[in-house]
Amino acid sequence: MSAIELTEDTGRSRPSLTLWVGVVLVGLHVFIALLTVVWTPYDPLGMTGGRLEAPSWAHWAGTDRLGRDFFTQIMLGSQIALVVGAGAVAIGGAIGVSLGILAAFASRWLDDALAATLDILIAFPTLLIAMLVVAASDEASLFTAILAIGLALSAIVARLTRILAKRVLLLDYITAARTSGTSWPGIVVTHVLPNIWPTLAVNFALQFGLAAIAEASLSYLGLGAPPPNASWGHLLQEAQGTVYTAPIGAFAPGLALVILVVGINLLADGLRDFADPTRSARR
Amino acid sequence: MSLLDVNGVDFSYGRGKPVLQQVSFAVEAGASLGIVGESGSGKTTLLRLLLGLTRPDAGTIALNGAAIDTRDSSFMRGYRRQVQAVFQDPYSSLDPRQSVFDIIAEPLRSLRIAGDHVALVAGALDAVGLDATSLRRYPHQFSGGQRQRIAIARAIVARPQVLLADEAVSALDLTTRVRIVALLQALSKDMTLVFVSHDLGVVAAACRDIVVLERGRIVESGRTRDVLARPKHPYTQALLASVPRMPEGLS
Amino acid sequence: MSNLVDIGNLSVQAGNRTLLDNVSLSIAPGERVGLIGESGSGKSLTALAAIGLLAPGLTASGSVQLAGQQVIGAQDRTLMPLRGTVTATVFQEPLTALDPLLPVGRQIAEPLRRRLRRDGRGPSRAELDAKVQTLLTQVALPDPATRSRRYPHELSGGQRQRVAIAMALACRPQLLIADEPTTALDVTTQAEILRLLAKLVADNGMALLFISHDLPVVARVVDRVVVMQHGVVVETGPVAEVFSAPRHDYTRSLVAAARSFDRALEGVA
Repeated sequence: MSAIELTEDTGRSRPSLTLWVGVVLVGLHVFIALLTVVWTPYDPLGMTGGRLEAPSWAHWAGTDRLGRDFFTQIMLGSQIALVVGAGAVAIGGAIGVSLGILAAFASRWLDDALAATLDILIAFPTLLIAMLVVAASDEASLFTAILAIGLALSAIVARLTRILAKRVLLLDYITAARTSGTSWPGIVVTHVLPNIWPTLAVNFALQFGLAAIAEASLSYLGLGAPPPNASWGHLLQEAQGTVYTAPIGAFAPGLALVILVVGINLLADGLRDFADPTRSARR
Repeated sequence: MSLLDVNGVDFSYGRGKPVLQQVSFAVEAGASLGIVGESGSGKTTLLRLLLGLTRPDAGTIALNGAAIDTRDSSFMRGYRRQVQAVFQDPYSSLDPRQSVFDIIAEPLRSLRIAGDHVALVAGALDAVGLDATSLRRYPHQFSGGQRQRIAIARAIVARPQVLLADEAVSALDLTTRVRIVALLQALSKDMTLVFVSHDLGVVAAACRDIVVLERGRIVESGRTRDVLARPKHPYTQALLASVPRMPEGLS
Repeated sequence: MSNLVDIGNLSVQAGNRTLLDNVSLSIAPGERVGLIGESGSGKSLTALAAIGLLAPGLTASGSVQLAGQQVIGAQDRTLMPLRGTVTATVFQEPLTALDPLLPVGRQIAEPLRRRLRRDGRGPSRAELDAKVQTLLTQVALPDPATRSRRYPHELSGGQRQRVAIAMALACRPQLLIADEPTTALDVTTQAEILRLLAKLVADNGMALLFISHDLPVVARVVDRVVVMQHGVVVETGPVAEVFSAPRHDYTRSLVAAARSFDRALEGVA
């Protein structure tokens, strides 16, 4: 009883340091991605220097095998990582949440079947599902990469949504809504989604990071956005042959990816405490 | 014809043991009925049947002579307008992410009741003794007793004929309990109260009539005063004897 | 004879909020004390403080002596042996207090084994089994031989609470703390558990700290009551005296509320 009392006045927590660091790291990528739409240091396709030059004031990350500015390409990579991340989470979220809600409301039989299917899908590595989707379409493109990763993520989102929704459906306010005459779709929109949203949002942020990694992996395998799209994975693959002579080529895109994913994970952790008042009260 | 007629209701979950067997009783308009039973008595199931959340295996439940058909959605909308409920746990019966206004207005929206919703909600809030500043606040800002008042406001906002209370005061502190029972009593002047509880004292305070359930069967019923003064069934006698009382004064 | 529990001017703070304010309370060996209050009164917190189980983040000042040992500021290591030998606790919801994955007999055997070891005896399995059966018979669990092999979810609420009480008895405590032990039970079961508690406390010469919001329930098992409101002790005295002539306004409102339901049962509402 006293525990309940304790939670009342502590109120909402202030955004934590974790959240701020996450915001800065992710914000950096968003800023760069937006910037590249209107301006880049060099023409990404232009041969503006010697081949495989070391980093200098003129070329911060050196140049690639064709003499193109490497930093410009890494900046453009932000754009691709963010577009794929957002697109994949949008697709995965839409499909996953719908399926999860459906399973939560379904009859015992259908729910068991859906749950088993999701468990099997989750057992497949994200990359394998993505490769199958790309293989099924005629050629690899930015869109197939987004679709593939989105589909792979949807199983994870669906399973989480199903569990969260089932937990909410047991609560008395759902019974109260039914006896107030609210229809099942109405209950989903007014009660279930708002109550599972904070947890889902945190999960979406984490999925965003996974999507960025999956995109780099696909591109590395040549199954992602085709050149001249400068995906980090593609840059890594190109740098593979020259990794001993020009290690910056492998190091720089890798670092960009790590900064983005770490930033997103910190952001998700910070959001978790911030978005859910019942959790922050326990600090 | 009574307002609410429960006639020969049987119920069991799947192929399990029967939870309710041949349950029949009637509630007259304006009366107040307490349904008393312990865990396993079937009172929770009976309440779900009365709320139209589950269908009986046999028998009927009728409001104003019309039997409930849970598959007939337009009938159910009319039924829900007339039969509203207050639940036991005020911490789980209010959606934590809705404002008090949205919570209380839910039946008005969902049942598509015409009229000035703002005025109706304000009226209901006033009837349960909360002030209008509560409307924009959220459930976690209220105490257990205040939350139960909000839940009662939601139940009466559509002006139902029947108010079903499911252990509506069990989770509350003693002094709060007295006040909420008094509130329900006051409301029962305008609507019919059906109070499901394990607590004989609460039912004795709030209800004119009583039905005692034991393992899915009605073992005794009648005017509360008569039943408590001269309980006939051994179970009712045991129940009454088990209720702890305050010690007599110093002699 | 010195007191088992001596709480003097105990104040507990969470940040800048005061949860307990100058609470004093003592329990003599064999004494049965009721701690009464509504939610937020600090009654459960007082009991937790008495056995040194305050949540981290709470700051306590004042004095809490448990069997002569200062609890405030003491290391958990020094308090651990006191819990279980001096005190044992029975909680409101036996389902959460018991391990769902262990048969109840084995759960009782655990504290029993600890106590016997402490007394310098490594009990044999047969001896332990026999003692578990004795305890289950003492708490009047029907058919103890079969039921001791059951898991908590296979027992009724009342039976689970009997098991929880048997676990507490296995420690042979000098003080039994019962925190709303019958609130989750049916009325008929509640009456049985109350009778059982009263008998066990008398038979074993234990002291009892009975925490409840329910006045008539408290009246059945204790001699003296302590009434708390908002973290403050507002009234204390022999139960018959306090309940028939309450001095504090708050106690008066509690007594009036409890009597109003009694009167309703008598048909004089």
